[in-house]
Amino acid sequence: MATSDVEPGSSQRLDKDTQETLVTVARHAVLLGWSVVVLFPLYWLASMSLKPPGQANSLPPDWVFLPTVYNYIQLAQNGEFVAAFANSVVMVGASVVLVLLIGVPAAYVLSRYDIPMERDVLVWILSSRMLPPIAVVIPFFVIFQQLNLFDTRIGMVLMYVSINLSLVVWVMKAFFDGIPETLEEAARVDGATQFQGFMKVVLPAAKPGIFSVAIISFIFAWIELLFGLVLTSFNAVPVTLFVYSFIGSRSIEWSMLAAASTAMIVPVVVFLIAVNKYLAAGLSFGVVIKE
Amino acid sequence: MSTPTQTDRKQRTGTARVRDVFNDYLPYWFVAPMVLVMVMITFFPGAYDLYLSVIAEPTLNVFEAEFVGLSNYQTAFTRGGALHSFVITVTVVVSALALESVLGFSLAALVTGVESSRLKSFYRVLFIIPMAVAPVSLATIGRIMLNTEIGVVPYLINTATPFAAPAFLSEIPLLTVILLDTWNWTPFMFIIFYAGLSSVPDTLVEASRVDGAPLWRRYVHVIIPYMKPVVFVATLIRMIDLFRTFGVVYGLTNGGPGTATQLVSINIYEQMFINNSPGVATAIAVVYLVFVIAIANIVIAKVGFEGVWD
Repeated sequence: MATSDVEPGSSQRLDKDTQETLVTVARHAVLLGWSVVVLFPLYWLASMSLKPPGQANSLPPDWVFLPTVYNYIQLAQNGEFVAAFANSVVMVGASVVLVLLIGVPAAYVLSRYDIPMERDVLVWILSSRMLPPIAVVIPFFVIFQQLNLFDTRIGMVLMYVSINLSLVVWVMKAFFDGIPETLEEAARVDGATQFQGFMKVVLPAAKPGIFSVAIISFIFAWIELLFGLVLTSFNAVPVTLFVYSFIGSRSIEWSMLAAASTAMIVPVVVFLIAVNKYLAAGLSFGVVIKE
Repeated sequence: MSTPTQTDRKQRTGTARVRDVFNDYLPYWFVAPMVLVMVMITFFPGAYDLYLSVIAEPTLNVFEAEFVGLSNYQTAFTRGGALHSFVITVTVVVSALALESVLGFSLAALVTGVESSRLKSFYRVLFIIPMAVAPVSLATIGRIMLNTEIGVVPYLINTATPFAAPAFLSEIPLLTVILLDTWNWTPFMFIIFYAGLSSVPDTLVEASRVDGAPLWRRYVHVIIPYMKPVVFVATLIRMIDLFRTFGVVYGLTNGGPGTATQLVSINIYEQMFINNSPGVATAIAVVYLVFVIAIANIVIAKVGFEGVWD
């Protein structure tokens, strides 16, 4: 029982108890209500993807139906979908590795050294996130055609790096700030160079931060549509663009669309749950660290 | 072990010397790639947008470019519908930000009060799931569930309530966009606020309880001020990201019907790739860039990062 404000023992206490029970009931009613709001659209999408095409849109809805993987088999046989999905996995995965390689060492320096105008530097880094992607993508659209980066995976990887670099630097700086410098000093006394100290002492201690920031970067790149829309046409099409082109087609195959969307969502749900403890730290750019 | 002196170094082999240079300048090697990429993505696009917006035809050769002054800006704000799209964007950003903050905070406060720790983590994990849905998938969900003829939501409203379902995508498209974004991104606010609330010390909550202050006062005067940095950063980042909105609207309504949901980003995209007028597109882009960065910096200056960094 939560603490109560009044002295126990009187008839007031009974009122207080009933009141608290009511509060608890109301609390769970609201939370369950929101749970339904959260789950219903996802349930609907998933159930639609498991219905045979003819049954997908019947109203009143068939609440009870025999699930079939027909739509997923169709999807797996659709070369464009498989290519787009593979593209996304490769491009987003590579971008995460690259953004960590660029961002993590920089964050370490920002954390450990006296940087002149450090706040301004950090706000400048954050400002890359303030640029609306549509304003960024037009110059790159022109330049990529000159550099033969249009419709290439490498070009897309670079764009994905650009959206996540500020996040990685901020979050990792916050994590490094939380690791006492005495750890590295001890390693250096033992004869390690600064680089070795960073690799063998600091990085392992910052693992949760790296893990969470990697997954959040993956998600932000995975859900990105605009870069694919503008900078790819055939070879480097990401899965988001495939789903979009599905929506745009004249006769929409709803159950296939539902299957493609579900296939996009499921891995991200798994990632989110895996990283849920450090999600707040990562999403808040490192401002909330503990949980 | 003694530190190597100059003479030590001269006698070393080539690889060792490379290693010394690497170690001596470590911080520079560490930040150089980041600075390079940052310069490329912060200065280059803005400058190039500005250049394209004052010339007639895109060309990389500055000497061949035909400068047209501000005429593209004039076109953008007369025939280009720039002002309208700014109004739409601000409407979406403000309403979605307000809804997501209030809902996210309320849910976080409610979950914090749950007594069983198992149920607590159940809700916490469940409530973050909508974030896994990409904007384009959210547009898919919206098209499937809100469709006037085959959608389950209008069907449920029509059969289970006395009300007639509105045509979500044609009668109230803007509200629909705002509500879908709220569904998608309330988890972002929820999870950060939840972490912020868990960091409020129990003693502070107890003390305010003893005062006998009503619940809302405790939140407004004690708890929220304590977690002000958290509230500030969550709101700032969500606001910045809301200005980036594109996919959900592009997939759901494509800016329509008419121009009812034409966000600035949709407008720029159409000017560039449908109307083939890069000058007008980049003129709006330049204004949008300045607008978003100005707002973000005003917010940062007003509230400040105090408490965010010690």
